[in-house]
Amino acid sequence: METNKHITIFHGPQHPGITGNMSVELDLIGETIQKATTHVGYLHRGFEKLVERRTVIQAFTIVCRICVPEPDPNEANFAMAVEELAGIEVSERVKYIRVMVLELSRLASQCMWLAGQSGSIGLYAVGQWAIADRDLILDLFEELTGGRVYHMYIYPGGVRRDLPDGFLRRLEKVLNHFKKRLKEYDNIFINNASFKSRAIGVGIVSPEECIKNGYVGQVLRGCGIEADVRKDAPYLVYDQLDFEVPTAQGGDVYARALVRRAEMDQSIHILEQVIDKMPEGEIMVKMPTHRKFKLPKNDTWVKVESSRGEFAYYMAGDGSEKIRRMQVRGPSLVHAFTLLEDLLVGAELSDVALIMNSLGICPPEIER
Amino acid sequence: MKWSIDISGTLSPLGILAAMMQKPNTIAYPAVKKETAVGYRGFHTNLLVDCIGCANCQDVCMNDAIDMIKTDKEYNVKNSSQCIPRIDYGRCCWCSLCTDVCPPDSLKLDEEYLGVTQYASDFLYMPKDK
Repeated sequence: METNKHITIFHGPQHPGITGNMSVELDLIGETIQKATTHVGYLHRGFEKLVERRTVIQAFTIVCRICVPEPDPNEANFAMAVEELAGIEVSERVKYIRVMVLELSRLASQCMWLAGQSGSIGLYAVGQWAIADRDLILDLFEELTGGRVYHMYIYPGGVRRDLPDGFLRRLEKVLNHFKKRLKEYDNIFINNASFKSRAIGVGIVSPEECIKNGYVGQVLRGCGIEADVRKDAPYLVYDQLDFEVPTAQGGDVYARALVRRAEMDQSIHILEQVIDKMPEGEIMVKMPTHRKFKLPKNDTWVKVESSRGEFAYYMAGDGSEKIRRMQVRGPSLVHAFTLLEDLLVGAELSDVALIMNSLGICPPEIER
Repeated sequence: MKWSIDISGTLSPLGILAAMMQKPNTIAYPAVKKETAVGYRGFHTNLLVDCIGCANCQDVCMNDAIDMIKTDKEYNVKNSSQCIPRIDYGRCCWCSLCTDVCPPDSLKLDEEYLGVTQYASDFLYMPKDK
């Protein structure tokens, strides 16, 4: 590299604009990025191996830690994989409660995105509002599961607690608050001229690249491709619920923001249906103790739609009380390496946080 | 070069000024304290008259956070080992599996969750008898 022309800087892991404990090494000429290299390894805990060393029931408490802002898709995947291998059938009520938890978690995660995305261009008020609104959902989680962030609620064979008295009424109240609030977010953020001028035409991905490289979630839907696991391979009771898969054209940061914003509406719509249709029934099938619960020799692949895209688990049992192999396939790995490194070339330094937030990268999920 | 102004996009964010009239979302902690939800997974409690010292909690703990400690006093005649659980809060993840497997339902998680100490040894927590 030519002396005094290039500069190399690290964006993260302490940078407030980074989406967690990872960093991007940037080679710049002036403000323009010539090369970007993603570095991870700051929080490697080896979740997959930790799970394999414990009994199935013990392992269930680990998986939620794979993604901090949105732990529930991990819990749902883990529980569904174990149930499929062990041939456990859960009740209709459990399925509805799981959908409710997953949609609440999606809404909370989109609030986190709203905070990150608005903060990345300096609109901090929006971020503070979004985090305050997310707290309303965390309050509901606290009441339902006993934990605000790590819920450890969706258990193989059911859910750990039934809904507290009046919970659905309180949920409805929070949803009504969100409906009003989302219009305000439209005014101050989504339709904001400064956000549009920063986001339109930045970080463009083509539909062909998405298909070729396996990009998922808003990246895919932001290119106009209607792909959602909830519609394509319905799990739980999503086939009984009415909702749309929002898409947008352009494949840029703004298109992804529009998709996320529309998904918040859809989550509220799904939750309202869940409130109306919540059936009565058992919340847990009778399970053996953790030393006696054995996973048959078989393997399975399950997937759910997280707030950032398709989230899949491979699980294999060998007839013992431990899981022989578990593999996590989240959206972050491919987004943080293949996609981010490509998108940042030619972008401005000030756009790094903006682009990164729009991709929904969650580092603990890369380093599972 | 052509200039254009997005008038609605420029004016609509001014709606945020209305928020100046609203009450803040935050509370004036510590003068005002947030009420913890019933069933919150906080510190452990152990009703010693019920605890049978079976060590199921120790067995299920995936973090090896529970030790069974011998007591001088006999709290429960059914507790022949006279051992009761002690939790290492340096290892505990508050998953509540220990309380799920407790046969007499004596081990529970309380709503209390604030703990401040200057001694590392205080992380070895003996659950309150309640």
